[in-house]
Amino acid sequence: MSENNALEILLKSGKRPLFMAHMIAGYPSTAESEKVAAALVQGGADIIELQIPFSDPMADGPTIAVASEDALKAGATVADSLEILKKVVGLGKPVAVMSYTNPVFRFGIAKFVEAIKAAGATAIIVPDCPFDTEEGKALLAAGKENDICIIPVVSPGVPEERLQELAKDACGFVYCTSRQGITGATSKFSNDLADFASTAKRIFNLPLAVGFGVKSKADVQSLSKIADIIIAGSVFVNAIKRGENVEQLARDLTS
Amino acid sequence: MKNSKYGGAYVPEMLWETLKELTAAFESAKNDPAFQKEFQDLLKNYSGRPTTLIFAERATADLGGAKIYLKNEGANLSGAHKITHCLGQGLLAKRLGKKMLIAETGAGQHGVATATVAARLGLECIVFMGTEDIRRQRPNVFLMERLGAKVVPVEYGSKTLKDAVNEALKFWMEHLAEAHYCIGSVLGPSPYPEMNRYFQSVIGREIRAQLQEREGKLPSAVLACVGGGSNAMGSFDDFIGEKSVRLIGVEAGGIGKNVGEHASRKIAGVPGIFQGYKSLFLQTDEGQIAPTHSISAGLDYPGIGPELAELYESGRVELTYATDAEAVDAADFFAKHEGVISALESAHALAEVRKMAPKMGRDEIIVATLSGRGDKDLFNFARAFKDESFKQFLKDEYERK
Ligand SMILES: Cc1ncc(COP(=O)(O)O)c(C=O)c1O
Repeated sequence: MSENNALEILLKSGKRPLFMAHMIAGYPSTAESEKVAAALVQGGADIIELQIPFSDPMADGPTIAVASEDALKAGATVADSLEILKKVVGLGKPVAVMSYTNPVFRFGIAKFVEAIKAAGATAIIVPDCPFDTEEGKALLAAGKENDICIIPVVSPGVPEERLQELAKDACGFVYCTSRQGITGATSKFSNDLADFASTAKRIFNLPLAVGFGVKSKADVQSLSKIADIIIAGSVFVNAIKRGENVEQLARDLTS
Repeated sequence: MKNSKYGGAYVPEMLWETLKELTAAFESAKNDPAFQKEFQDLLKNYSGRPTTLIFAERATADLGGAKIYLKNEGANLSGAHKITHCLGQGLLAKRLGKKMLIAETGAGQHGVATATVAARLGLECIVFMGTEDIRRQRPNVFLMERLGAKVVPVEYGSKTLKDAVNEALKFWMEHLAEAHYCIGSVLGPSPYPEMNRYFQSVIGREIRAQLQEREGKLPSAVLACVGGGSNAMGSFDDFIGEKSVRLIGVEAGGIGKNVGEHASRKIAGVPGIFQGYKSLFLQTDEGQIAPTHSISAGLDYPGIGPELAELYESGRVELTYATDAEAVDAADFFAKHEGVISALESAHALAEVRKMAPKMGRDEIIVATLSGRGDKDLFNFARAFKDESFKQFLKDEYERK
């Protein structure tokens, strides 16, 4: 990652913990996506994770899966998502794009990375695209070419030998799920999360982001002992669905 | 099939170790005489193999062409070929120390087979099933529950097979230590496609041996319906090297060729990466998985097993399709001519037999795999044939105290 990459500057700033707030492009609507992002930023988010909706998101629980489906039903396209990305980038925080392999693959992997680069993103997270697949390798190559970090997603239980493999190509930060399983605002964190987090930090030698199941100030406090970056997603999607104040919620979590 | 164009393991890293362990268990089981003995014993003395190869004499005479044989996988315990890969995977699950089998199901046949095997091997069982499939295959839900399985309805997405796979994958990621995901076709991340083909390949070997004994020769063509492709790959595998044998997979033509009207990858499949594997999928230009339709829940799925997709693209396997109406007609034809009541899935292969056989010589042999028997489709057949007395029976049954 180059030194003037916005994400790199933020990570080097020493501010800890950083807060990465997740949102879905096109949810609750294409028009309102920018407002959601602005509320998250106003509420204290340091990084925005922008999910480009996929019909069958395998790592997501019902909250994000159903919201993705709603966004697609309302007609959200990849082109719309890229427009939203530009606007979110305009809010001045680093943006990590998240999606699944198939939409990226269909768009063309290199083309996709170029497109999000052009729109101002600094990283991409594709949880079902292991680095050692043909597409994973293409993603890594395009990332290098475009100064976009390809963020590895690991979980408690992933053995050290595998972490070491992934660490060779990692940049930016490591996304560590708080447990084996899927996103969702209700479940608990893994018992071996702290041990795993310290192993992952040692092996990757990068800032560690922890997400999945973060829903309260207490969660943020407990995770801030082990994580450099704390990620929350489903809790915001639920708040949007219920018509609650997203900015206030973000502030409650980050303050 | 290493280094192939399709296949692979496109899954979150949390599954890496589990898939590695499963691959190792599968590889060691293949060469372990104790495993083979137990597997073969279960196939023979539990499931009832070899299944019969029925000479469809009256259908042959009526259609006036090739000699027609039906490989009767419906004779297996639990009514379809699915139990074969369930037994194989169930034994592997025990080797891996798992306590629970989880499965997705469309037609309910794979769910029933998994529940059957779980009961037999003393494992817990949870089956995920879309609510649309529960509606059309309700009898199998009842059977799974009687077998001690828990059936979990899947209420989002298209509420069919693909959504049941999603839900099973998610549950699996949350329960990796105790659960083995018993995937029901030759798809999913590696090693599943190869593993399920390996277990199912007994179908083709039996066809070859039975025909050799009865006719002293190879068939001209082997046909099987294709949902994900497990009964097709099982039927074809032993013949792939026999260039004289045409291998024909029959997909669900549904009610038309537009998006959402069929489930044929031949009509509209393009390369994609979904549910852990790379293959041909029905999808939009933007890579969103497309809705599908088939009268048969077991064929109503957007993807096709990666090995089968490669065999299709290389030209070794041909794909074609039968419509909903053709499948229902074919099931009726073989019921009246041979006393065989076919599952709606398998009836797609029978529909192609009716089209092909008359164009072939009388000295030729065509084998169609009857992947399952039709008991589960009682309600679907009754509806398709507008059977008023059956409807009345249902009413009476409902009102009966
Ligand atoms: C009787 C029967 N045949 C065929 C299929 C389709 O599966 P596959 O293509 O894997 O054989 C099913 C699936 O549920 C089935 O129940």
